[in-house]
Amino acid sequence: MAGEKQGTLLSRLTTVDRRVIYLLMTLVVAWPMFKLVTLPVLISKEVAGFDREIEALTAGDHVIFAFDYEPDVMAELDPMSRAVMDRLFEKDVEVVALTLYPGGAGIAQPVLESAAREHNKVYGEDYVFLGYNPDWSGTMLRLGESIKATYPADQFGRDTRTMPILADCDSYKDVKLLVSICGSQLTEYWAALAGGRYGQKIVSGNTAVQAVFIYPFYQSGQIKGFLGGLKGAAEYETAIERPAFGVRGMGSQTMGHLLILLFVVIGNLGYLAARRAGTGGSGGVTGGGGRA
Amino acid sequence: MSHDPSVWVTALLTLAIFSFLWRENPVFRFAEHLLVGVSAGYYVVQYFYSGIVKKLIVPVRQDPGTNWPLIFGGALGILMFARLFRRLSWAARYPVAFYVSSAAGYFIPSVLEANVLKQIGGTVTAPGTAMAAGTLPVVSSALLVLGVIAVLVYFFFSVEHRGPVGSLSRVGILYLMVGFGASFGYTVMGRITLLLGRFQFLLGDWLGLI
Repeated sequence: MAGEKQGTLLSRLTTVDRRVIYLLMTLVVAWPMFKLVTLPVLISKEVAGFDREIEALTAGDHVIFAFDYEPDVMAELDPMSRAVMDRLFEKDVEVVALTLYPGGAGIAQPVLESAAREHNKVYGEDYVFLGYNPDWSGTMLRLGESIKATYPADQFGRDTRTMPILADCDSYKDVKLLVSICGSQLTEYWAALAGGRYGQKIVSGNTAVQAVFIYPFYQSGQIKGFLGGLKGAAEYETAIERPAFGVRGMGSQTMGHLLILLFVVIGNLGYLAARRAGTGGSGGVTGGGGRA
Repeated sequence: MSHDPSVWVTALLTLAIFSFLWRENPVFRFAEHLLVGVSAGYYVVQYFYSGIVKKLIVPVRQDPGTNWPLIFGGALGILMFARLFRRLSWAARYPVAFYVSSAAGYFIPSVLEANVLKQIGGTVTAPGTAMAAGTLPVVSSALLVLGVIAVLVYFFFSVEHRGPVGSLSRVGILYLMVGFGASFGYTVMGRITLLLGRFQFLLGDWLGLI
């Protein structure tokens, strides 16, 4: 009798209204933001590789910084861009920024301007924003021949031929490192076209979804290091001792993951209970026509 | 609480999109249509300015002697619109043929090298490199090599999956499951981060509570 009741309770848990799940998720993700839950962040070898390449740069080195993402993944990639840009300016590295996405222009500008203000960097001398260039593959290839021919004018229409920052930098051979902060497969194409054809050294920051596909490129040495999702950003912020959004977000991440694990366990227990009771179950957390 | 009108617009539109979690409603549909319309307008302007103005009109006007070949590129681009007219639609094949052939020319060798050859190289050389590093890396690279072979066997359908081939193929399934699991875990992390980004904005930038 008690077993039957338990079975019914478990099987009812598989048909919980999805709005209850959304509410619980909201609470567990928001709560650590108020409580400032901070968790220890260990640095993985992929992030250590990324950090090593950045730290190997010296003052006056040129870096191409590709803002290859749009507002949809800003929450994941902006913390990386801000942390890396801050470190590059701190090391007096000269940054040639660009984007291969039309929506990237509006994202790059505030990141560049805020880091430049903080480190007193001068536009055109210490950094430049070349803007968006159509045809990403053609752009990747042409940068190996001439940056100034690929981008005759910067984002604001200024002539790149007269810019001091580009006086001694006109192709990949003058660039020490390429940083691709990317929300799509473009990192893989940077590795194939800039890395494979011109031998350009590359590190990347990628969305969590994309990070899985970057491992083979890292393992084969085509990418020297990468930051995967918010966890990667948190690790890099820890590595450079500049905790920000990435580190702060780890509490919410952990709580959110624990809740999802709990749902997976409950969903499966409920499914098994329903099967044992002979009602067939509702198909787990995705079943039930709008109910979870 | 923020006094910036743009923050208020962003916050209210975010809430309008979140309202879908309760149920489909006119406020959500308004925000959705606004997003599509604004995005379309933004992309048209960006593509026209970056592609036509900056890459064709300005260079040809500034230095016609050097940049005149760009006119041929522009003319090829215009031919794409021939598709809109039934009698001229054949002309659209020329820019498509040009684009496909040039893209195939520079993509095939580079992508083959990056996605296949270098990754085979990475798998084959890994055990050698690992032996110098210690026991754990050796185990790790042995598992890597086993995984590559097992998954390849799983996708090899010319031989029936029975006996040793079947066993190896089942190991391949295990590797694939681990891969899918890792991918799902990363996806969950990505989605929670996006939610976190919105909460950070709503509770911090808008309401000033954190």
